[in-house]
Amino acid sequence: MSENAVIEIRNLTKIYRDFWGRPKVRAVNSLSLDVNKGEVFGLLGPNGSGKTTTIKMLLGLLFPTEGDIRILGKPATDVAKNESIGYLPEESYLYRFLNAEETLDFYGRLFSMSPAERKQRADELIKMVGLDKARRRQLKEYSKGMTRRIGLAQALINNPQLVLLDEPTSGLDPIGTREMKDLILKLKDEGKTVVMCSHLLADVQDVCDRIAILYNGELKQLGMVEELLASQDKTQIVSSTLSDEAIEEIKQVIAKHHGNLQEISSPTTSLEELFLQTVAESQARPGQRFVSESEQKTAESKS
Amino acid sequence: MNFDAKPMNIPEALSTWGLVFGSILVASLAIGFILALVLGGKRGIPRFFENLGEGLTDLIRMSPKRVGAIANLTLKEAIRRKALLVFVVFAVLFMFGGWFLSNTNSREELQLSVYVSFVLTSIGWLIFPVALILACWGLPEDIRLRSLHTVVTKPVRRSEIVLGRILGFVGVGTFVVGIMSVLGYVWIIRQVPENVKSRLIARVPVYGSLDFRDRQGEEAESGVNTGDINPYRSYIEGASKARAKWTFDGLSPSDLQIDPETGKPALLVENSFQAFRTHKGVIDEVLHGQYTLVNPETDLRVSLPQFPVYEFRQNLAWIPEELEYYNEETQQTETRNLFDDLVVDGKLAVEARCVDVGQFLGMARPDLFIRLPDRPFASSYFKSVFGIWMMMVLIVVLGVTASTFVKGPVATILLFTLILVGTGFNQFMNDILSGEVRGAGLIESGIRILNHGNPIVEKPDSLEESVAVQNVDQVFTGLLWGISHVIPNFNIFSFKAYTANGFDVPMMAAVMPAVFMVLGFFIPCLILGYYSLKLRELEAK
Repeated sequence: MSENAVIEIRNLTKIYRDFWGRPKVRAVNSLSLDVNKGEVFGLLGPNGSGKTTTIKMLLGLLFPTEGDIRILGKPATDVAKNESIGYLPEESYLYRFLNAEETLDFYGRLFSMSPAERKQRADELIKMVGLDKARRRQLKEYSKGMTRRIGLAQALINNPQLVLLDEPTSGLDPIGTREMKDLILKLKDEGKTVVMCSHLLADVQDVCDRIAILYNGELKQLGMVEELLASQDKTQIVSSTLSDEAIEEIKQVIAKHHGNLQEISSPTTSLEELFLQTVAESQARPGQRFVSESEQKTAESKS
Repeated sequence: MNFDAKPMNIPEALSTWGLVFGSILVASLAIGFILALVLGGKRGIPRFFENLGEGLTDLIRMSPKRVGAIANLTLKEAIRRKALLVFVVFAVLFMFGGWFLSNTNSREELQLSVYVSFVLTSIGWLIFPVALILACWGLPEDIRLRSLHTVVTKPVRRSEIVLGRILGFVGVGTFVVGIMSVLGYVWIIRQVPENVKSRLIARVPVYGSLDFRDRQGEEAESGVNTGDINPYRSYIEGASKARAKWTFDGLSPSDLQIDPETGKPALLVENSFQAFRTHKGVIDEVLHGQYTLVNPETDLRVSLPQFPVYEFRQNLAWIPEELEYYNEETQQTETRNLFDDLVVDGKLAVEARCVDVGQFLGMARPDLFIRLPDRPFASSYFKSVFGIWMMMVLIVVLGVTASTFVKGPVATILLFTLILVGTGFNQFMNDILSGEVRGAGLIESGIRILNHGNPIVEKPDSLEESVAVQNVDQVFTGLLWGISHVIPNFNIFSFKAYTANGFDVPMMAAVMPAVFMVLGFFIPCLILGYYSLKLRELEAK
C-alpha cells in the first residue's frame, strides 16, 4: 500500500447471486484504484454502474466476491476502521422517531464520546447544516433536503478522516447543493479525504480533484479532472465585450495563422449561478418581483 | 398442581447444559469449517479462523456505552411507536374485571385463586405478544429501512447490536411488567372480598420423604389402590396398622411458631388428605386421622390426639414443643420436648393413620407438610411476576436471535411455534425420553401400525429385525433428547399456581431453574445472533 493511499482497492469483483447461488449480476468487475489522502475523489457512472456497490463494499455492508479492500490500512470488515470514517448514505436512513439533537447524540454515543463532547459537537453540526430551528422536531417531519442535512451532520459527528458521500446533493435545492459543495471543499481544506459518488456531473466537476468513471461495473476512466476534461485541439480566449470591428480583425488574425474559427458568442452563465444570484438579490430587496414585458407595456400606457 | 417440585440440582443442570451447548458448538464449528472449505477453497480456511478470532474479540470486548446507546434507542423506539398502548388494554381489563370475578365461588381459597390468577394471567397475556412482536420485528425493520446501515458503519460490533436490542426490549418489558404488577397487586388487595383477605399469605411448606406400612405394619411400597388407574394418592386403611410415614429433614427450633390458642411455641403441620369410604358411615361426620411423632433413631413414639379430616380444606395441627402424651407401655402421662427427644439432627418422622373402621384416607407426599412461618403475600406475588418477567426475557432473547437471520413475519411464526411446542409438548417429549410414555420407538411404532400391531406393548428383542429397528430408533431418541433440550420448557416460568393457592414460590425448586433456563439460552443465542448478523450481507439483494 502506498503511504499516501487512504483507500486501496485491488481486483474488486462483486457478483450478486440468486437463491440457488447462481450468478445473477456482475455489479463490479476487477476494479483497482487508490484514493489518496486529502483529495476529493468522485466515483461517476450511470445508474447500475456499480458506484454504490463499491461504496457499500468499502463500508463492509457487502462482501466482495473477489479482490481486496484496505481502508486506512485496515480490511473493510474491520470495525475499528469506522472510528475514522463518516458515511452519508444515498437516502438518509436515520431513525425517524428521533429529533436532530437525539440523532446526533445517539451517533455520538456510538463513538463513545462524553456527554459534554456530544452536546458541543451536535450543537456545532446542527448550526453548520442549518437545522437550528428544527433541532427538536422528529425527523419524520423533515423535508428531503433537511433529512440530507441531518444525514451529513451524523456522518461528521466523529470528525472523520475519510468521508464517504453517496449522492450527496440528491434532493437538495440549488442553495443546498452549493452549500454541500462548499462544505466538501471545506472538508478538503481541513485535510480530510472525501469520496463521493454521483451522476450529477456538474457537481462532481465543481469539487472533485480526481474521478473514476464506471460503466457496467468496470473502470473506464481514472485521473485528475482538469486533465481528463482538457481539450488538446482547441484554444479559448475570453475577453470583455468587443465591437464588431474588433471581432472582424480577430477573425482575420486567426485566418492569417491558418486557424479554424469555430464560434464567437457571448458566454452564458450557468443556471446555478443565475439562480443563486436571483435568490441573493431577492434577499437583499424583498418585495421586488419579476415584471413581464406585457405588464410593463400596460403600466406605461396607463401612466 | 404439584407444589412439591424437587429442588434444582445445579451441578447436574450445568453439566447437561455444557453437554448440549458443547455438542451444538462442536457441530456448528465442524459445519462452518466444511462450508468455508467448500465455498472459499484454500482461502476459506484462514478466513474461517479469522472469523472465529474476530467473533471471540467481538463477544468479549463489547462496549457498555455502545450497548447502552442501542438499548436506549430501542427503548425510545418502542415508546414512540406506541408499544405502551398495552396499558390501555390492561386498564380496561381491570376496570371491569371485578364485575365478573366477585362471588365466583363460595369457597374462600378458590375466590382468592380466581383474583390472583386473573391478574397474573392478564399480565402474561398482555406482555408476551408485545415482547414477541417487538423482538421479532425490531432488527428486520432496521435492516429493511436501512437504519442499521448508519449504525454498522460506526465502530459498533454486531454483538453490541444484538445485546443492545435485547436489553432495550427487556427494558420496555420490565417497565410494562413493573407498572402492571404494582397496579395488579394494589387491585388484588383492594378487590378481594373482606372475608378472603386473611388468606392473602404465602405459606412456606417443608416436605418430607414418604414411605408406607401395610395393614400388618410391615414396610410396603405404597398404600391401597382404590381403583384409580393413575394413582396419585395411596390409601391407608382405617383402624389397622397401616400408616404413612413422612420423614422431615432440616428442622430447627426456629421453625416453631406461637400457637394462637395456647400462646406457646409449636410446630404447625398441615394436611390435605382425602377420604375413600367403603360404607356410608355417619354421613354428616368427617373421617378422623391420627399423627404419631417418631424419633428416627430411638424409635420413641409419641401419639397425638385424633383430628378430623376435612376434605379439600387446609387441616392444621399444632404440635407443641412440650408434648404431653399418654404412654401406653408405662400407662402414664409423660412429657417430652419435641426437639430434645424426637428430632435428631433436624430429622423427625411423622406417621399418619386413619382411625375409622372400614374407611380409607388417601395420602400423597405433598399432602402433609410442616408449615414454616408464613411470608407476606407480596413475596409470593412478586416472585410470580418475576417468573413472567423471565419468560418475557426469554421471548425477547429468542425473538432477537431469530430476527438476525430471518425477516419479521418468519421470526414471529418461528418463535410462536417454539412457544407452542415448548409449552404444550415439552413435557410429552420428556415423558417419552424418561420412559413414562410406554411404547416402541418412531420407526418401530410406524411398522407396527402398518402391520396392525399394537404400538404400545413390548416386543421381544430376539427378533432380528426388531433389534435393528430399535437401534435406528435409538438415533431418533437421541435426536429427540437434543430437541427437548433446545426447545425451552416455557411451563417452568409459571409460578401462578403457587401464589393463587397461597404458597410461597420456592427459590431452589422454581425460581432458580427459571433463572438458569434464561441464562442457558441467553449465551448461545447471543453467539448465534452475533454470527448470523456478522456473516450476512446487510445490503444483499
